[in-house]
Amino acid sequence: MSRQPRAFFALDFGSATTSAALVGHAGGRWRLLAHSAAPSTTDLDALLFGILDRVEHADRELLEFVSARERPKTAALVADLARLESRSTPPRRIAVLAGSKRQRRRLEEVAARAGWLVVGGSADVSDPLELSRLVLAWDTHAVLLGADSSPAGDEKRHLPMLGALVAAAARRRPELAVVLAGGAAIQESDFHGAGEHDRIPEVAKVAEPVAETPADTDAETGGETEEPPAADGGAESAAEDAPAEAATGDVAAPAAPVDAAPAPEPAPAPAPEPEFAAPIEAPPTDRHDSVLLAPDAESGQPAGSALQQVLEGLRARSDDTRLGIARSVRSLALLLDKSIEAIEVGIDGGLRCRAEPFGPGHRNIVSSHVTMAGGSFTPEDLTDEIIDAVLSWSTIAFDRYRLSDRLRDLRSSPWGEADGEGALLRLAAAKAAVERLVAATPEISAREMPDILIAAGGVWSSTPPSVVALAMADLVRRPGVGRLASDQARLLGPLGAIADEDERRKMLKDLVGDVLLPLGSLVLPAGIRQGRSAGRMRVTGDTANSDIDLQPGGIWAVELQPGQTATADMEFKDAVRLGARGRRFSVEVSGGLGGLFVDLRDIPLRLPDRADQKRATWESWQRAMWSEIDE
Amino acid sequence: MSPRKRAGATTEARAETRFVQPEFARIPARRILVVSPTVQIRLGPGDRALVSAGQKVNPGMPIAERTCDAEFIDVGRLNRPANGNGRENGPSRPIDPQQERRRSPRPGKWWVGGDDRRGKTARRETPRRLAGTLLYEMDGRWTAAAGDRHEKVEAPTSGVVVEAENCIGITMKVSGVAIPAAVAGGQPTRGYLDVPRLVDGELRDTTLDVGRSGAIVVAGGRVSAEMLTRARAMSIRGMVAGSLGQAELRDLAASEARQRAGLHTTPPFGALGLDGHQRRPIASPILALLAALAGREVAILIDPPLLVLDVVDVPLPELPPDWVRVRNGVHAGREGRWLSSAGLHRFRAGIHLEAANIRLGDDLQPTVIALADLERFIL
Repeated sequence: MSRQPRAFFALDFGSATTSAALVGHAGGRWRLLAHSAAPSTTDLDALLFGILDRVEHADRELLEFVSARERPKTAALVADLARLESRSTPPRRIAVLAGSKRQRRRLEEVAARAGWLVVGGSADVSDPLELSRLVLAWDTHAVLLGADSSPAGDEKRHLPMLGALVAAAARRRPELAVVLAGGAAIQESDFHGAGEHDRIPEVAKVAEPVAETPADTDAETGGETEEPPAADGGAESAAEDAPAEAATGDVAAPAAPVDAAPAPEPAPAPAPEPEFAAPIEAPPTDRHDSVLLAPDAESGQPAGSALQQVLEGLRARSDDTRLGIARSVRSLALLLDKSIEAIEVGIDGGLRCRAEPFGPGHRNIVSSHVTMAGGSFTPEDLTDEIIDAVLSWSTIAFDRYRLSDRLRDLRSSPWGEADGEGALLRLAAAKAAVERLVAATPEISAREMPDILIAAGGVWSSTPPSVVALAMADLVRRPGVGRLASDQARLLGPLGAIADEDERRKMLKDLVGDVLLPLGSLVLPAGIRQGRSAGRMRVTGDTANSDIDLQPGGIWAVELQPGQTATADMEFKDAVRLGARGRRFSVEVSGGLGGLFVDLRDIPLRLPDRADQKRATWESWQRAMWSEIDE
Repeated sequence: MSPRKRAGATTEARAETRFVQPEFARIPARRILVVSPTVQIRLGPGDRALVSAGQKVNPGMPIAERTCDAEFIDVGRLNRPANGNGRENGPSRPIDPQQERRRSPRPGKWWVGGDDRRGKTARRETPRRLAGTLLYEMDGRWTAAAGDRHEKVEAPTSGVVVEAENCIGITMKVSGVAIPAAVAGGQPTRGYLDVPRLVDGELRDTTLDVGRSGAIVVAGGRVSAEMLTRARAMSIRGMVAGSLGQAELRDLAASEARQRAGLHTTPPFGALGLDGHQRRPIASPILALLAALAGREVAILIDPPLLVLDVVDVPLPELPPDWVRVRNGVHAGREGRWLSSAGLHRFRAGIHLEAANIRLGDDLQPTVIALADLERFIL
């Protein structure tokens, strides 16, 4: 036996929740041995002690094996075991300035998709004083000044003023990061020639390629597969990730140093492979001392993705959890040869990402992701629109101020009142957050139902699996058949911090069964006529057989345990869409904690206009999946 | 049972809080006092700092000057020092004013001018005299955020200036200790601490009379918008409550805006919610501390929300080591003692959460409460 412990902690430091998992190499593969989550205020060592104690009580020999010690002491293991970490990047604010309202909206949209909290102003509407307030505000961390690559007159005439205004602000606040996008790069000269009292921001070097470090091999075993990830793999890995991707052509480098390229260069169209934010190789304090030239808000495919990448790299930590999840989803898609979509909702933002092979058996992956501060279940900027959205998903009647108070308190105490009415409020807030994420990602919504849909994030952690599945069915409404899963142990983020794509995939191959907690399968046909029986469905499995009369407008859960598979034979009276159009379908479905969900509601959902009737409708669907709600 | 106050109990109280069971340590801790917190006073374009980094400030000392009616001004060319005649509005600055005036124009520099100074003939008999800060220079011409109405910002508490920048803000390290709060509204303010008698943990509207002018009043579980209006009318400087609702904060912000628009400004008024937005009584250890400090000068700060006590030596409340308070849920605001861990417990709606058995108040039976809904106090 090697003296090297064959176990490590995977740690996800969220804003509200710290999640820890013990992963060990036993029985010839990596396994999830135990996991736990606690409020982020909880002492980490206490959390890790708890995990090790549970493993010790359940299977002492297993702990001895993976720790490579006889009678291991938990205190020593907490100190010695390697740690793979990811962290949520705290929300930061960017001031978006443009010459026209039209351009400002485009830039704001891209900045929001890159995870920034956005404030904006345009010179055609606001006076320079108002724009100065935005830029000089204490909580503004960056400024994005943008224009079309060939700005029209309405923008062009304002650019000199905006350039002078931003340059003056940058001299006052050297920590302010400045991004000049598209045609605004012509104002770059404004950032030189400051007086003796002024500090000129240094020019940033963005995502310089660095030679990839080969994976370490175990000195004793001589095999890479036996080597647990390095303790600080998270930080190192993500830092190396971008160069590695750049070397393989995965990452376009749309931002160029001012010195090197005085004129803006059009961003190259992204390759089919996904592009992830290339972290700036500098500590956060230095990172802000920068003027970046970036592509305009239309560059890339989809439009704005090139600028989004620059802004994401500016905002996110190198070991950011959300970007880690997106990387893991890409690896999983390649590994399983399936289309995978993940929706993550946390207190500081949310993520929607999708990855799928270019074709069956293809090695290339098409992926996209959006991180949004507005994807938080209780955003920092709690506007009336957000409160209205939560009200529209709520099964409890609130007045607006009371709901506002509760949501704000939920932000300051995200683990508070997780039961009873608090659970319902949390669910409504989470659904409203997912709705915002879905609305912000039309390019993902336009794709077919994914083979696997993953729900991730702390907001789902205490919610019953069947309710999470219902929430996904409520919000991701595309005809087809898909599997629903949950990242219950919150491993996708830390695993995404592994630098090497092959190593990450190897780890995921072992852990895929543990990472994705099966919630069930979702059958969602479209085009069902209302008012009469739509047909019948027969589910034939190893242990369960069911025969269901398909009534339009309802949702049913058929018991199908995790690990079980069954065949669902459906015969509709009229032709419906379920991937393809037809009347008879036979699909393989797999079980989960919630079972098999057959959703015959409208696509998109049709709800009553009156608030009380809407609440009653939600409640009737919810009650079918959440029988404990009246306890 | 409620904690009693005990003067000079600092060391002992801290020693007691170290006794905790491992499960007890998983309860989120709430710090009652923070020592020498760093606070910010935000400034905008047109506002200037009257202090500089490293400078000591005392309560009531002018630290900034706001331009209430700042507007965008085209200054023109400034090839010579901004204040050529050597005169400058506002109180004297700690740095040598001659040197300040001789500095070349730059963004953020204080500028004084008017139509007459810009070579324009004024039709009015009394030309409008403007002052503010320079914004930026374009094609050799400067712009400024300036106005003719200014008000001084006084230091609400003593401390040392860490950073001071015109148009941006002042960062200050407060001397003394402070009670952290969850939410604040209004402006930084200062007054003597008044802890009137509370009925069922609440303050009656009629308690707020002109006799409490200049006080910062402890108002129980919650303050209403009417109570805030009445307090302002009585020249009360601030209110401290267990919670402060969003509706009240909006009303307060609107009231502030009206005050700013008016020619006659009133003394600054601030409000603090110690726990958050939803109604909860003030935690008994904090109430005991406030009662012990009644009559002393305190300050309300907004960013971050703090009740600053200028002194370091404060009488700490005596806290049993197993004392906890319910923060959320149906028992919110109640306090009691930790009995034991209840492990993973099934709560309403079938939610499973780590929980503990707590004896709340004088209840005979223990109550099972989720750990995340509890808070323990550390000093």
